[in-house]
Amino acid sequence: MEQEVIVEQEEVVEQEDFVVQMRGINKVYPNGIAANKDVNFSLRRGEIHAIMGENGAGKSTLMKILFGLEQPTSGEILINGQPVAIHNPQKAISLGIGMVHQHFMLVPSLTVAENIVLGMAPTTKSRLLVDYKKAVQIAEENAARYNFRIEPNSKVMDIPVGMKQKVEILKALVRGAKILILDEPTAVLTTQETTELFKELIALKEQGLTIVFISHKLKEIKQITDRLTIMRGGRTMGVYNTADISEAEISRLMVGRDVVLKVVKDKAQPTETILKVRDLEYTNRWNKKMLDKLSFSVRRGEILGIAGVEGNGQRELVEMLFNLNTPDTGTITVCGESIINQPQNKIRDRGVSLVPEDRMTYGIADIATIEENVISDRFTDSRFNKGPLFNVQEIHSECDNLIVDYRILAKSRKQQVKMLSGGNIQKVVVARELSSKPTLLIADQPTRGIDVGATEFIRNEIVELSREGAAVLLVSADLNEVIELSDSLIVMYGGKIVAYFEDTSQLDDEVMGEYMLGLKHQTEEEIAKVSYE
Amino acid sequence: MSDRRLLLFNLLRGLAAILLALAVATIFIFLSSDEPLTALKYLLVGPVVSFKATGNVFNTVSFLTILAAMIPTIFSGLAVCVMFSANQFNLGGEGAIMLGGFVGALLGIYLHLNTGLHQVVCVLAGAIAGGLIMLIPAVLKVKLGASEMVTSLMMNYVVMFVILHFLNFVFADRTKGATQTFPILETAKIPEIVANGTKLTWGFVVALVFVVIIALFMYRTKWGYAIRMIGINQSFAQYSGMQVGAVIILSQVIGGLLSGMGGSIEVLGRYNTFLWRELPGYGWLGITIAILAKNNPIFVPFAAFFIAYLNKGCDLMATYSDVPSEMIDIIQAAIFLFFAAEQFLAKYRQKIVVRNAQRDLALQEAYADQGDLALPNVAGSQGGSIS
Repeated sequence: MEQEVIVEQEEVVEQEDFVVQMRGINKVYPNGIAANKDVNFSLRRGEIHAIMGENGAGKSTLMKILFGLEQPTSGEILINGQPVAIHNPQKAISLGIGMVHQHFMLVPSLTVAENIVLGMAPTTKSRLLVDYKKAVQIAEENAARYNFRIEPNSKVMDIPVGMKQKVEILKALVRGAKILILDEPTAVLTTQETTELFKELIALKEQGLTIVFISHKLKEIKQITDRLTIMRGGRTMGVYNTADISEAEISRLMVGRDVVLKVVKDKAQPTETILKVRDLEYTNRWNKKMLDKLSFSVRRGEILGIAGVEGNGQRELVEMLFNLNTPDTGTITVCGESIINQPQNKIRDRGVSLVPEDRMTYGIADIATIEENVISDRFTDSRFNKGPLFNVQEIHSECDNLIVDYRILAKSRKQQVKMLSGGNIQKVVVARELSSKPTLLIADQPTRGIDVGATEFIRNEIVELSREGAAVLLVSADLNEVIELSDSLIVMYGGKIVAYFEDTSQLDDEVMGEYMLGLKHQTEEEIAKVSYE
Repeated sequence: MSDRRLLLFNLLRGLAAILLALAVATIFIFLSSDEPLTALKYLLVGPVVSFKATGNVFNTVSFLTILAAMIPTIFSGLAVCVMFSANQFNLGGEGAIMLGGFVGALLGIYLHLNTGLHQVVCVLAGAIAGGLIMLIPAVLKVKLGASEMVTSLMMNYVVMFVILHFLNFVFADRTKGATQTFPILETAKIPEIVANGTKLTWGFVVALVFVVIIALFMYRTKWGYAIRMIGINQSFAQYSGMQVGAVIILSQVIGGLLSGMGGSIEVLGRYNTFLWRELPGYGWLGITIAILAKNNPIFVPFAAFFIAYLNKGCDLMATYSDVPSEMIDIIQAAIFLFFAAEQFLAKYRQKIVVRNAQRDLALQEAYADQGDLALPNVAGSQGGSIS
């Protein structure tokens, strides 16, 4: 299959009027991760071109190279047919390349107009002060020219996400961008904002701009792009005209299999309640209510999923469950005992394990070895200590067993964890958290950003653990994962539970979408069922 | 394999840093001296060679005095290793050393015990005093979040002036012209290994024993493990269930114990009375040594030797040539810069990493050819941090 793809690519390269050509790009990061492997990529003038691929496929790296944020290990870049070296973003901007990052690069305390002219602000005659009126004028002129609706005098922290994105795009356009790179532009937008953005992008295209659109949302891609490049595991899997390729085909090329991952599991046989959360409330320091009267229970032998768009209180909830944060009111009990304000070792002693969302911050000590990372929750156990010293043999064999059991691909137990791939780092975390045989496992985004093989492995391990009698709380922003893996499921929106589904087997994305976006919610009685009382 | 190559690279990088620093020193010597070659000779080989008309011979006595000079700095280097490993930038070693020396000396003067037991009691008391004083910055850090760097730095001067107060008004021997205590009893003095006036006492042996103890402590015990993990990633340590606050305090108390022990051994081994009227400076050397040793206790004696050798060389150079002894500060600063600069030779390091990654890729492809799809990707193929 790889052979025919390469042939197809070469045919495309033969045609002319490319604004950008990237040839044979290789990129190895300082930690040894090869993010791009012999990647070829080209952009026709005036097209909207999608780069598609799963997390970790190398899309962002490729675009960072084009924008000068990263240097390729090898390969060449041609802009309008001329070979160029793009050492930094300034150079990229001077070549007419603009990039809008997934996480906005705006100064929240400055106004929209100030952000747009930042670094090139018009000055008054004295050359000492910023001519703010002129700045507003520049912002308004450009907004009118590209038909963008913005409020130049509002502070960036006060405007909605959709407008922030427009400010980012305008920032690039004001700097003379002819090639616009958008990194997952719709990830943070509502449906209406997405529609509006697409209209504007098409208008920009008609004005002659070339747009690169990084995404992994199939429907959007079909809707707006002319061509697409598919990446997988750091390589290009082919370049296609969007009209000529079906969604199923794209999906197959991206993921490398014909169907989405199915998890095989028996029907859950839930028994007694392990985790009981009642009336949990939390208001964060910006006075936003993140958790609002949250009540649910998780029983032995079942996986309860929490679905929801990120930022609807899931993170805060998980923090409370592991005492990384304290609720304002409410109770959390594990097997009948409160865990609020209990130190983590006490919580772990009660049989609670956590696969944290942010694995680099909480999950691992990056420059420590694999061995040091897998024993961090059990190093005080008597079996690992002989008098005052460690029982080194016992620790070695524990680590070696985990490396084998959890299929961690490493050169040795002495390898630094940060030298592993994302998937294997997560396996180190999972190995530690699951091998402690928890009564309650909290898995927060357990497979985010890791490769398919590791994802499948970790999901199966979680199912197995629950069938062996653990209670599992699964928090995931990946809709497919949360539906496939959970036995029953709650949806969080605005810090509340808005829906409870006792059986996930009949659920489909559309229904879920409506609950997740707050368009629908169930009655109090329906939701209260998740407390099993 | 690759990790070994990186270790080798790190060692070579350390050597290169030292050589470059010496090269910088040479430039300054040539700039500032009329007899640069003489100066260089004394700096580089002077510490271990006597230059005589009949020829150059190995200077054993001088070599032994270098070893003797390492005694307090090995202790302070170890202390800093432990504290820096926990990511605690405690600079209170100076104060703890002076306090340890003072307490050790007082017990050596006023306590009457048999020799053997007397030294042990004095040194232990000095160590405990050092450990206790370090509780101040440690507890302030854990309970109130006060930066241990600031509190420990200021504590040095508080300790010094309190000691001076007691020295001046309580313990001073009024019969002497200078401010000093009464003489330390012979039973409390730490004898030389060989009585030859080099001051190479049994304290040197104790220091080496503590190198081994601290190395074992850091790499083979649960406490050392917790200290290192907290130093690498405190959030990780907390989430794993470690008692972060207690371990942070422990690391600094151990630093204080070692510093205090070093101070008392130095005073009881080198002097007849307690006569330090200012901070002795071993604490600062300990920081240099710990950085050179990359916080690894095993490397501390080597780093301490290097610093002691350099100090001696600079002294000789200042004595026998026209180069000022301040030169040592320039050399130390240069070594620091090269050592601390993470990016030094980073390009070469990147080359090693790239080569390793490519080999891993080849390995991965070999697996793929076997059709073993169950086998996950080899390190380097994908990563959550890049997308």
